[in-house]
Amino acid sequence: MRNVITIARKELQSYFASPIAYVVIGFFALLFGYFFASLIYWFEQQSLQMTPGSGPPLNINQALIGPVFMNVSVIVLFVMPMITMRTYAEEKRSGTMELLLTSPLTDVQIILGKFLGALGLYAVMLAVTLIHVGVLFLYGNPEWKPVATVYLGLLLMGACFISAGLFISSLTKNQIVAGMVTFAVFLLLWVINWLGQSFGPTGQAVISHLSITEHLDDFARGIIDTKHVIYYLSFIVFGLFLTAKSVDSERWRG
Amino acid sequence: MIEVQHLSKRYGPFTAVDDVSFSVGAGEILGFLGPNGAGKTTTMRIITGYMPASEGTVTVAGHDVFSDAIEAKKRTGYLPETPPLYPDMSVRDYVTFVARIKGVPSREVRGRVDDVMKKTHIADMASRHCGKLSKGYKQRVGLAQALIHNPDVLVLDEPTAGLDPKQIIEARQLITELGGNHTVVLSTHILPEVSQTCNRVVIIARGKVVAVDTPDNLTARLRGSETMYLQVSAPGADVTQALAAIAGITRVKAEAGGNGLVSIEVDCEQGRDVRRELAATVVHQGWGLLELRPMRMSLEDIFLSLTTEDAGSAPADAAPAATEAASA
Ligand SMILES: Nc1ncnc2c1ncn2[C@@H]1O[C@H](COP(=O)(O)OP(=O)(O)O)[C@@H](O)[C@H]1O
Ligand SMILES: [Mg+2]
Repeated sequence: MRNVITIARKELQSYFASPIAYVVIGFFALLFGYFFASLIYWFEQQSLQMTPGSGPPLNINQALIGPVFMNVSVIVLFVMPMITMRTYAEEKRSGTMELLLTSPLTDVQIILGKFLGALGLYAVMLAVTLIHVGVLFLYGNPEWKPVATVYLGLLLMGACFISAGLFISSLTKNQIVAGMVTFAVFLLLWVINWLGQSFGPTGQAVISHLSITEHLDDFARGIIDTKHVIYYLSFIVFGLFLTAKSVDSERWRG
Repeated sequence: MIEVQHLSKRYGPFTAVDDVSFSVGAGEILGFLGPNGAGKTTTMRIITGYMPASEGTVTVAGHDVFSDAIEAKKRTGYLPETPPLYPDMSVRDYVTFVARIKGVPSREVRGRVDDVMKKTHIADMASRHCGKLSKGYKQRVGLAQALIHNPDVLVLDEPTAGLDPKQIIEARQLITELGGNHTVVLSTHILPEVSQTCNRVVIIARGKVVAVDTPDNLTARLRGSETMYLQVSAPGADVTQALAAIAGITRVKAEAGGNGLVSIEVDCEQGRDVRRELAATVVHQGWGLLELRPMRMSLEDIFLSLTTEDAGSAPADAAPAATEAASA
C-alpha cells in the first residue's frame, strides 16, 4: 500500500509540475462555468414566467443541478484524455519505465498508483464545481442528497474513463497518439447511445447499457442503484486488468 | 553474488543473447565488453528483472530474478543506458521518490538521500529540475538513484558513455570506490574502461561469450607468441634473411623506410628471449641498431581479434584467436 501511495503522489506531483493540471482544471472550470451560468439564466427565466399557482414550482435539483452535471460528463470526455495520455506512454518514451520495472514493485502497485494519481487530479477538478454548488445552497434550498449522489456518479464515471485511458496509454510510447485514440474511444462510448436508437428497442437497451454516461442518469436523480455501481466497478476493474496484461506482454516482447 | 546460467534471449526469431553463462563474486567489478549490438543491454535488463529470459536462469544474492523478483530487485541497483529521470522533478524529490519505491524505510529516507547525494557530488544541484541538468550531472543522479538503497549488486550500463574526459575520470574513480562494498557489473564498448576499473572481463560478441578473464591474463594468454619490434639502419641489406636465420624466430616482417631505415617485427617462440641474439646479429652485420623493444598486444587488438572473428568458431578458450592475431 505504501508503494501505491508513493506512485500516486508522484503522479499527482508530476501533473502539477507540468502545465497539464492547470490546463485541465482551467479548461474544465471555464466550460463548467459557462454551462452553469447559462442554465441558471434559463432557470431564472422559467421561474419568472410561471404564474403562481399554475403548477408545482420548478425543482432546482431536477431542473438545474441534474442537467448541469449531465453536461459535466461531456466536458470530462474532452479533458480526461489529457490526464491519462501520458501515464504509461511517457514513462516508456523517457526510459523511466526501466526504473519502475526494476524496482521492488508489483505491476498491480504501479497500475493502482497511476490510477489513484489520475483520480486525484480528477477529484480536484470536480472540487472546483463545489464553489458553484455552494452558491446554490447559499441562495436556494436544493436537496443535498441528489447532489451527493451525482458527485459519486461522476467520480465512478471518471474512474471508468481513467482505467480505459491507462490501458490505451500502455499500448504506445507516444502520448499524443495515446491522447487521440483515447479521445476517439471515449467519443464512441458516448455516442453509442444515439447509435442504439437505430437498432430497435432491444438493441437500444443493450447498447445504452454499454454507454458509460447513460448510467449517470439515476445518480443525478439521487438514486444509487447497485446495477449502475456494479457496471462502473466492473468497467474499472476490466480496464485495469487489460492494462496489467498489456504491461506484462510488453515486458516479454522487450 | 550474481550467477548467470545458460542465458538466452530471443526477440522474435532474432537471438540477441545466446547461451551466456558467467558469475560474479562479492565485491568484484566485472566488465562486460562488446561492440554495439552484442547483447550487453539485453543481458543487463534480464539481470535487473526488467525483462524475463527466453531460457536460462539468473540469481542475485541467491534470489532468482524471475521467480523471486521482488527480493532480487531489493538487492539490485541499476543505471540504464539513459538515466531514468523525471524531467519535471527536482533532484532531491527524484532521489527521495526512488528511495521510497526501492523500499528504504521511511525513517531512513532523508538520511540516505543526503548521504547518496553527497557521495555522488550532486548536493549542489538538489533543487534543480532533473530535465535541466547537464549530461554529466544526469549520469551522477542516475548513479545516486542506483545506489540509494545500498544494494549488494550494481548494474551499470555504459556508465561513462557521453561524458567528457574529466567526467569519465571522476566516474571511474567513483566506480572503483564502489567495488568492495558492492558487486559491480558494468558494460562498455570502450576498452581502456575495463583495464582501468575492472577485476575481470567478459567479452561478448553477437550474443555469445568469447572470453572471460582478468584484463592482464587476457593480454598474456592471447599473446600466443612474443613479438619484438626493432628499427635498424641497414642500407641495401637483406634484413629479413639475416634475422630469420636466428634460432627460435618464427616470422620476420620488414618494412623499409627512407634513408636506409628498416622497421621490423619479429615473432619468436613463446618464453624465449631472443633480444641478445637479435642485437648481436645486427651488430655483426655492421648495421646500426636504433630501437629494440617487445611489442605487447593491446587490449584493443585482443578485443578486435576476438569480436571480429566468426561467431560460430569463437570458443571461450582463446587459442585460435591468438594464432589469428599473431599472423595478422
Ligand atoms: N526490444 C528489442 N526488439 C528487437 N530487437 C532488439 C530489442 N532490443 C535489442 N534488440 C537487438 O538485440 C541486439 C542486442 O542489443 P543490445 O542488448 O541493446 O546490445 P548492446 O547493449 O550490447 O549494444 C541488437 O542487435 C538489437 O538490435
Ligand atoms: Mg547497450
